[in-house]
Amino acid sequence: MRAMEILDPVGSSTATARALTPRPASLQGAVIGVLDNSKPNARVLLDGVARALAEKVGARDVRVWRKPGASLGATTAVLDEMAASCGAALTASAD
Amino acid sequence: MLGTHEFRPLALAEARAKGLPDLGIVTVPHPIGGVAPPIVAGKALAAMGDVLAALTRVAGGRVTAAPAGEVSAHAAPADLLEFQSYMMERGWGDGLPLIPATAERVAAMLAGTGRPAGDLVAVLPPRRGRATVERVAINAVLAGALPEHLPVILAAVEAVGEPAFNLQAIQTTTHPCSPLVIVNGPIARRLGINGAGNALGQGHRANAVIGRALRLVLQNVGGARPGHEDRATQGHPGKYSYCVAENEAASPWAPLSVDRGFSREVGTVTVCGSEGPHNINDHGSSTPQGIVTTVAGTAAIVGSNNIYLGGEPLVILGPEHAATVAGGGFSKDDFKRALWERAQVPLSRFDPSNIERFAVIHPAGFEDRPPETRAPIARQWSDIMVVVAGGAGKHSVFVPTFGATRSVTRRIEA
Repeated sequence: MRAMEILDPVGSSTATARALTPRPASLQGAVIGVLDNSKPNARVLLDGVARALAEKVGARDVRVWRKPGASLGATTAVLDEMAASCGAALTASAD
Repeated sequence: MLGTHEFRPLALAEARAKGLPDLGIVTVPHPIGGVAPPIVAGKALAAMGDVLAALTRVAGGRVTAAPAGEVSAHAAPADLLEFQSYMMERGWGDGLPLIPATAERVAAMLAGTGRPAGDLVAVLPPRRGRATVERVAINAVLAGALPEHLPVILAAVEAVGEPAFNLQAIQTTTHPCSPLVIVNGPIARRLGINGAGNALGQGHRANAVIGRALRLVLQNVGGARPGHEDRATQGHPGKYSYCVAENEAASPWAPLSVDRGFSREVGTVTVCGSEGPHNINDHGSSTPQGIVTTVAGTAAIVGSNNIYLGGEPLVILGPEHAATVAGGGFSKDDFKRALWERAQVPLSRFDPSNIERFAVIHPAGFEDRPPETRAPIARQWSDIMVVVAGGAGKHSVFVPTFGATRSVTRRIEA
């Protein structure tokens, strides 16, 4: 089969590898954060998981934050607040 | 991150794009929207074990991160038909025949712009792909574009990359939207970009290849592949190509570019996150009010995103309708105001489940509003966009948008 050289239509991305923070051994006494993506029933799913999780691990509390809309990212302020106060965070994507 | 099984590929793509291939992703059976809450709650409980595992230890199976270095060239079959299969297998085509992007052809394409090949035009979501001038040129060759088209394509890529356009959402939504490229200025005539008869249809090379090149850039560089990151439920044919010139010669008003602060001699592109076109047939009206009535009746719909998200629904007036409106003494703004007043949807036309959903997103418009409340098609009259395009005939076009997006106008640089 004869071949021809074609240039790559995809190219590189700006994504750089980042490390996840170390997983906690236990979530007892932690705050479980929920970032609601405002899609229908997202709260039902997220709250359901968060509360069941909180009960199982003995978390201190479940706190909920909102995004401005389903197709808009959370504000830096919200993300900073969650990072500072939560032992673990749950969010949802799509519908 | 929680999601449904159907959307797992998008979740993985997002995680990779953010540099977090090991992010815990737990999915439940699709769907959760439009499903009774107790069923969703059941899915939540079933997922809890996986969520706990993801939060307290790193997932076992590693998601392979994208290769670090750039692959600059590929050995593809030289046979033209085999080449098409090669490209489609890799997810790099749109289904129509592609022109092989050989080094020679790309070099020729790059001569169409004065910009350096390595210039970064935009970083495109969801993949955060680097759309350099050269990478755009490669996709322009694939699309069948000529070097003279490249400046328009570059301007369009730059425009969709602007934060206000919200490309991240446009690329990955279930909504059908695709960037509509509206070209203004003498460059449209010079390049043969059609704004007259069959302006949104086939037959003019410039329209076809400029729109197609943008789509290939968004798919290949931006990483929005149908069925994977691109979640469009049905999509629309404009996702192949969606490019039109404003018919400035036939318009009774100033062009869109002038409305946006550019002089008539400057070439511009304006990109809108648009649905497919809805026809407006009005063969009877001989007054501006008559045209407004018919356009309003077409625009006052229940199933658009604009009705609850706002944004800029677009009216493409055919030249004959525009002449009737202007002939009756209406300016473009007069038309927009009259349309906004007339095209309002009574809340009784919506199912209560949707009013409930809209109320979360736009409480002022939908929360605890009396049933006789009417919802406008845009937050304010000045959000309605109007351009003139088309040939002879008494038709105009209504084009709703994704809603959570703003149109962006960019100057075309040589």
